[in-house]
Amino acid sequence: MKLLLRRAAILLFFSLLVLVGLVIFTWQYVNNSSTWVQHPANRHLYANGKPINLGTIYDRAGRVLLQMIDGSMSFHGDKTVRTAVMHATGDMHNNVETSAQMAFPDRLSGWNIINGIYRLKSRSGSGSNLTLTLDAELCAAAYEELSGRKGTVGIYNYQTGEILCMVSAPSFDPENPPDIDADPEKYEGVYINRLLSAVYTPGSVFKLVTAAAAIENIENIEEKRFYCDGKLQIGGDLVTCMSAHGEISLSQALASSCNVAFGQLSLELGPEKLQRYAELAGFNSSLEVNGIKTAAGRVELADAKDVELAWAGIGQYTNTANPLNFMAYMGAIANDGLLVNPRILRERRVLSFVNASAGENKQIFSPDTAKKLKALIRESTLSIYGEDTMRGLGLCAKSGTAEVGGGKRPHAWFAGFLDSEEFPFAFVVVIENGGFGSRVAAPVALKVLQAAVNSF
Amino acid sequence: MNIFLENVKQFLEWSITKVPDIFERIGNFFSYFEITIGLYTFVVRWVFPILAITIFLRCILPLLQGRKRASAWGYLMMMDGSRVPLKHWENSIGRSKVSDIVIALPFVSRNHAVLTFRDRAWYITDLGSKGGVKVNGIKIEAPQIVNYGDTISLAGVKMTLLPADEEESGLLQQDDYTATLIPSGRLFNSSAAFALILLFQFLGVIQVMLAMFPEVNLAVTLTFIVFIFAETLHFHIKHWLSRKYLELELLCYFLCGMSLFIVSSAAPDLLYIQLAAILFGMLVYSVLEFMISDLGRTRKLKYLLASTAIILLVLNLAIGETRYGAKLWINLGFITFQPSEFVKIAFVIVGTAALDKLLTTRNMTAFIAFSGICIGALVLMRDFGTVVVFFGTFIVIAFMRSGDLRTIALISSGALIGAMAVIAFMPYIASRFATWRNIWKYANTTGFQQTRTLIAAASGGLLGVGSGNGFLASIAAADTDLVFGILCEEWGLLIAFIVVLIIVFLAVYAVFLTKNCRSSFYAIAACGAASIFLIQTALNVLGTVDILPLTGITMPFVSRGGSSMIASWGLLAFIKSADDRIRPDKAGD
Ligand SMILES: [Zn+2]
Repeated sequence: MKLLLRRAAILLFFSLLVLVGLVIFTWQYVNNSSTWVQHPANRHLYANGKPINLGTIYDRAGRVLLQMIDGSMSFHGDKTVRTAVMHATGDMHNNVETSAQMAFPDRLSGWNIINGIYRLKSRSGSGSNLTLTLDAELCAAAYEELSGRKGTVGIYNYQTGEILCMVSAPSFDPENPPDIDADPEKYEGVYINRLLSAVYTPGSVFKLVTAAAAIENIENIEEKRFYCDGKLQIGGDLVTCMSAHGEISLSQALASSCNVAFGQLSLELGPEKLQRYAELAGFNSSLEVNGIKTAAGRVELADAKDVELAWAGIGQYTNTANPLNFMAYMGAIANDGLLVNPRILRERRVLSFVNASAGENKQIFSPDTAKKLKALIRESTLSIYGEDTMRGLGLCAKSGTAEVGGGKRPHAWFAGFLDSEEFPFAFVVVIENGGFGSRVAAPVALKVLQAAVNSF
Repeated sequence: MNIFLENVKQFLEWSITKVPDIFERIGNFFSYFEITIGLYTFVVRWVFPILAITIFLRCILPLLQGRKRASAWGYLMMMDGSRVPLKHWENSIGRSKVSDIVIALPFVSRNHAVLTFRDRAWYITDLGSKGGVKVNGIKIEAPQIVNYGDTISLAGVKMTLLPADEEESGLLQQDDYTATLIPSGRLFNSSAAFALILLFQFLGVIQVMLAMFPEVNLAVTLTFIVFIFAETLHFHIKHWLSRKYLELELLCYFLCGMSLFIVSSAAPDLLYIQLAAILFGMLVYSVLEFMISDLGRTRKLKYLLASTAIILLVLNLAIGETRYGAKLWINLGFITFQPSEFVKIAFVIVGTAALDKLLTTRNMTAFIAFSGICIGALVLMRDFGTVVVFFGTFIVIAFMRSGDLRTIALISSGALIGAMAVIAFMPYIASRFATWRNIWKYANTTGFQQTRTLIAAASGGLLGVGSGNGFLASIAAADTDLVFGILCEEWGLLIAFIVVLIIVFLAVYAVFLTKNCRSSFYAIAACGAASIFLIQTALNVLGTVDILPLTGITMPFVSRGGSSMIASWGLLAFIKSADDRIRPDKAGD
């Protein structure tokens, strides 16, 4: 029988193969079951392709933003509010990829790997609840301020990461969706949440990246003086300035957004350093907002010629920025160099905390550098907007006017933060083809910030 | 931990919303009842996996650690005076390390002779040794009877055959415990494990009935009453009559219970048929176990079963009914059955051979011919899943009989070429391979069953949504082909895995039994039957979750289907017969 025992090992080998198959299945189950369960053929969640129990999405004040009643979706009662938060909640047909509906279906359906779809409920029970960090009224105010222009407004708490305001225009009333195809110009990219998924040429706001590199790499930068005669000659090419600024300090250069000074700085720093600081500031990578990936801005200086390097240092060349990433950079400057990852979900789950903690907070540069940079921005902001603008809240901001070429008006940027323990807000406003940042984007940002301060 | 808190939170939220309701509508029986239903499922879905894991462990541990009371069927007195026990009905003697009686002398052949106990007498067979075999000094040419006291000489090495001690009519129980797979002195009580199974099924049937409420199908209640009664009776009769371990039966009661739960969800009107199949299966099991306990009787049975199988296959091809593209059914008017299921039993028994035959003639012509007929007929019936089952089992049996890896590899590669030809010429098969690992692309056509299985499995999580609350059961043929998905969805991944692990365990157990088996006949039969179970389960389970191509094959003991259930019990008899160990509580009898 010993002989047969030896030969019977072939059956053990077969058994092993079956176990291997089970292990592979388990692996796939662990990784993919949250996706499988959301398939429209799942009759626990869908009837004829329409969700049965979606749960309810609330804003931070407990306002109902989206709800499923008897198999039909209902949104917030106010048209402006539901239009303003349409990109956050999603519309009726799941057109917005980054919406809460699309990004957190398992939370809305109450699914988890241990309990599956099961919930203790009577038969007419509903799904689960989801609370967003947004303030819907603030979003509505921001949407009104954009007054039909394309662009985006974002405000977030740089200490906690909570996004308070997230508005993208154009948008539409999800309860009465218009005929998008009838007006492709008006509804260009309407399903895209521009705060998360768009990238724009940054223009002068990028000078805050160049300035950070200068503070850490050029000695006695505070005492350094630049001379601007309105243009900077590099080889046969010219970098031009708005006017001849004369002899100026770094903070004056920032205040007057002097291209010549920052062009010189870029050349002095060289492509490697500028590239490194751009990457520290979040370029060439995306953030994850509770798992929703943002678009990545781009800075590529490896093959840049000198003149191109100078243009890159003032936010032109091939540079692009994602508004949310840039807002997070603003938050990091305000928060002693610590970048707190923005988030959209109010409650922190124990598990999600564990999962996300690795990528959550990132010290991008030293508190000392952050302090110097902050002082620099504050000084220049004061010189332009004076004490009375956002009095007592320590407004630090930079405008940007990003040339886009093709005969179109430049994108208007305004980004910054409040240096305030009570209202730790970082913000970004981009208005597409809006014109001058300080004239077009700044008023929008200041009004929305005031509203945020009032309602916080 | 977090998930646990989540459950507590759900419960608190739920209580807060429900408690005022209860007071408000007190006296309203239906709403009160609905709340109870919710609570019941909430609790038992945690209880079931714990019970199932306990049952599984309490059944497999005694089977693997159960001590072998070495029964000696006789002794060989060697020249130095030592007594070597003959532990099996067939004992190989030779120089080889894998011989049952090793004589490490250079002039003894590797496999010199086999000493066989057959029809109450001992025979010695020369395996073509160089030195030859002599009985009482006379060289033997053919297998020759050896009487007690006779001297056997293998190339000059002399030994005397002695009877086992008289006490038990030649059947000695020696207190020489052989080593076990799991060395542990702990004894398990099979009655306790059986009680756990009853508890599981009792809680389960209440869950099914509550899920159906208020349209409770009485068939469910009645079926489970009869089933629980029948298994209790079966268990107690066995416990009383049989001296062997009973955990094997317990595992199959558990699997049959799961099949009844699945049928309750999917097709309660067919419960009585499934129940009848289980009861008949138990009967077939007991009869077959008795029949093959005697090797002489089995030899006659072998020819009977083989010829019946061939007749059934021919009949099937001639008058069979086609369902789902395969011609698998014979309709006798009052009953419909699948001949290929019964052929499995014949297939295993035809493949067996006693050790002397196995070592003298390497000839497997009869078995190969029979396999060829079966597989050929199945190809004509277009039942390709079963073809794979038969072929895999053929490989196992053929290897156990010949030990020849090269021949097996040759046959396998031949089969592979054949399979590729089949795939190339049959678009129906080719389309299954196109779907394989691509199911989401064909989610509503050829990938329908697999995607629905995965969706249902994901919906169930580890604990399931509760028996009767799933959606997969309502899909056509889910209770035969997609049972793993139904288990995952309604009972949770943990229980579904335990069900699969029980089948895998049967295979491991069959191999484990081989070591101390009386006869190679039982060892081969057990491994053959276990490999049928194993391959069928692998194709069924791994096919529906898209690890293997989908074949539409049943899972033994669990899928709905009378023929399959009866055949499963029949095959189980082969595994049971290989285990001749005696339960501790019967050891003193
Ligand atoms: Zn200048």
